[in-house]
Amino acid sequence: MNMPDTESTRPGDRSGSLAGDLSDQRLQQRARELYREAGRRVDPATAGRLRAARRQALETAGKPSHQVSHWLIPSGAVAVIALASLMLWQPLPQGGNRPATTVEAATDLDNELPPDADKTDPVLYQNLDFYTWLAAADRHPTTR
Amino acid sequence: MEPENAARDDTGATAMNTAVDALGADMVLDEATPATLDAFLAQVERRAFRMAEMQLRHREDAMDAVQDAMLRLVKHYRDKPATEWAPLFWGILRRRVVDLQRRRKVRSIVVGWLGGGHDKEGDELPVWEPADQSPGPLDRLHDVQSYADMAAAVNTLPRRQREAFMLRMLEGLDGKETAQAMGCSEGSVKTHLSRAMHTLRDQLENWR
Repeated sequence: MNMPDTESTRPGDRSGSLAGDLSDQRLQQRARELYREAGRRVDPATAGRLRAARRQALETAGKPSHQVSHWLIPSGAVAVIALASLMLWQPLPQGGNRPATTVEAATDLDNELPPDADKTDPVLYQNLDFYTWLAAADRHPTTR
Repeated sequence: MEPENAARDDTGATAMNTAVDALGADMVLDEATPATLDAFLAQVERRAFRMAEMQLRHREDAMDAVQDAMLRLVKHYRDKPATEWAPLFWGILRRRVVDLQRRRKVRSIVVGWLGGGHDKEGDELPVWEPADQSPGPLDRLHDVQSYADMAAAVNTLPRRQREAFMLRMLEGLDGKETAQAMGCSEGSVKTHLSRAMHTLRDQLENWR
């Protein structure tokens, strides 16, 4: 192999040094040879583990469950957003006031009924005449 | 950087690039681009382990890094063209190694906070590193000492210089691929590489 001599480009770097015995090219070549040789001579146990790791990587990444899980989260998010939008923008029911009317009617009806003896203050019954007079006075206010 | 140093780096980088190209023509092209991801990973997995091991100096961490890099490559980039697999894979592995080194550093700091960083006399203990009890992987390697010397010298380099040297020189990626794997420009790769070679020349002057 014909390699260019890098020493000629940097004469000051190498003068008076034993580094001249080993040119850049030889250093590079030697380093790469050792590296490749070390790669080839990985012990069998480690080589087996590397092989198993490769198979596992290829199998794990190729499983369809990953594709499902990949789409599961975005699909769920879209569904939640759609549901929320539907709830927010749904028009109010036309008979929305009807329950209030019913409540008012029930309240009026309660006013017509006699008070429940169990829930009413006993003082009311003791002074019933007074409260009757008071109610009558409210309906016909006197002028002074 | 000073202009004089920059000019020297540029000159060195240019010469380095020429040298690497010449070397690459002889050694890099001996591997054809694999057709399948399985074949690609089978081709690089052992070297990837060595590269991670050289930087992490721990076999289990190196195994974790390679395993994770393989998984991520297959998971995220399996549909990419085969010509892009190499820079993508080495880039992923590079980041995993950096992550593990950072975690180790944090662990070391925590150990220091808990009082493990100093001995009884108050002297600072060496940085904590996980124990590696597994048998040495290079028992059968003829050039054990040379490889160990090279690994030790490479580990003294700053991180970016080390990455440039390993990807460009050892793994044989071209300038563009190395830049892609390192996440920087080709010019930066050349500068890092030039400085790395300058340091290694001094450290390995008696190296064979």
